Amino acid sequence: MYVYLYDNFLRQKKYDSVIKAMEVRLTDYGIAGKILRLNNFIDPKQIIEEEVKRGAKTIVIVGNDATFGYVLSRAATCDCVFGFLPIGSGNTIAQVLGIPEGIDSCDILSKRRKESLDVGWMNNRYFVSQLRVLPAKVKVIYDERFSVSANDKIEVVVCNLQPFFWKNDKRDKDAQMVHPQDGKLEAFLRPLTKKGWWSYKYEEPSIFPFEEMEIISNSPFTVEADGKVSKETKVKIKLAHGKIDMIVGRNRKF
Amino acid sequence: MIFQKNNSRNISEEIVPTAEEVSTTNNITDEVETVVGPSVNVEGDFASEGNIIVKGTVSGSVHTSKFLSVELGAKIMANVRAASAKIAGEVKGNLKIKESIELTSTAKVLGDIEVKVLSVEPGALLFGKVTMPGIEGAEVRNSRQRIGRRSDEVTEVTV
Repeated sequence: MYVYLYDNFLRQKKYDSVIKAMEVRLTDYGIAGKILRLNNFIDPKQIIEEEVKRGAKTIVIVGNDATFGYVLSRAATCDCVFGFLPIGSGNTIAQVLGIPEGIDSCDILSKRRKESLDVGWMNNRYFVSQLRVLPAKVKVIYDERFSVSANDKIEVVVCNLQPFFWKNDKRDKDAQMVHPQDGKLEAFLRPLTKKGWWSYKYEEPSIFPFEEMEIISNSPFTVEADGKVSKETKVKIKLAHGKIDMIVGRNRKF
Repeated sequence: MIFQKNNSRNISEEIVPTAEEVSTTNNITDEVETVVGPSVNVEGDFASEGNIIVKGTVSGSVHTSKFLSVELGAKIMANVRAASAKIAGEVKGNLKIKESIELTSTAKVLGDIEVKVLSVEPGALLFGKVTMPGIEGAEVRNSRQRIGRRSDEVTEVTV
């Protein structure tokens, strides 16, 4: 049995035609199912667990990267297979998973090519796509073996599914691609150096693949994991191997 | 406080992936290397299974089963073990390289090197002992010296 979780932004009129076409395609394939609409007051974990108890085997997330991160960061431990139908702007994870945007994603869903994906674990919750520590004076300790620090502030970005992009200057088209299934998380550290009186400039990034790391600071720093923001003084990040069963496309990037 | 501005506003660039950028990533190689950036200090036992590129400062020890590149301006104050290496910066410590090492014209090495293949560009600075396996005479000499030392030790013990 399939259960579809629609993001709240899909209520907008401009998405009506795409959603209708997708629903028709899913009915043709015989995989149409219950539709639930997400909003700020709904805990995805709770509703997914309820649906699994009722016999749901596949939970399909319908929306963009934000929807994907919002649902999976809370429901990573649920015992079911996840699918993804990307609609709208801000869809970079779908490309990594090899799922095309719009109606064609229904074909991928119907083929049910399953893969186990790694997720990141931060303090006491999971993150799927990306964790970001906003520029602060922090020290990073990797695998309890070596530490990394800079003279001034550092921005830390830990990538699992979502690629990390940076530019050395505006013309630069440098980009890095990160794999979700290589058995490691990738941390990108960008130190900031003072430029002029008040402004800062990003330095060239450092890249460290890791399985466990700790970020510590004397003063609280802001952590953003899958869109959820919190203030911490100590963050422990680990890799949880093969936590999520996901339906992926043939053209996936891992 | 009047002049204090929000740092996030002052930061000169933002990470905004565009569709064009996403498409360019498809052409980039898959392997993610460990990169130590230019203004970063690493302390402790720095180990990696993949290639390492050092542009900053490392102190402690460095170990990789693949390639190590020490870029111009980088400083390593540690003993190094790697499969192969290219040095353009400064290294203070012993280097134990399995295959080959290349010292470019800007390299400064202060320590012993143990390697199979060594190439040194003119201008490179090296202060230390270089040991290379493959010379039979040297091996015999070394082994004789060792035997001599051992017999001395034995005699010392017997006496």
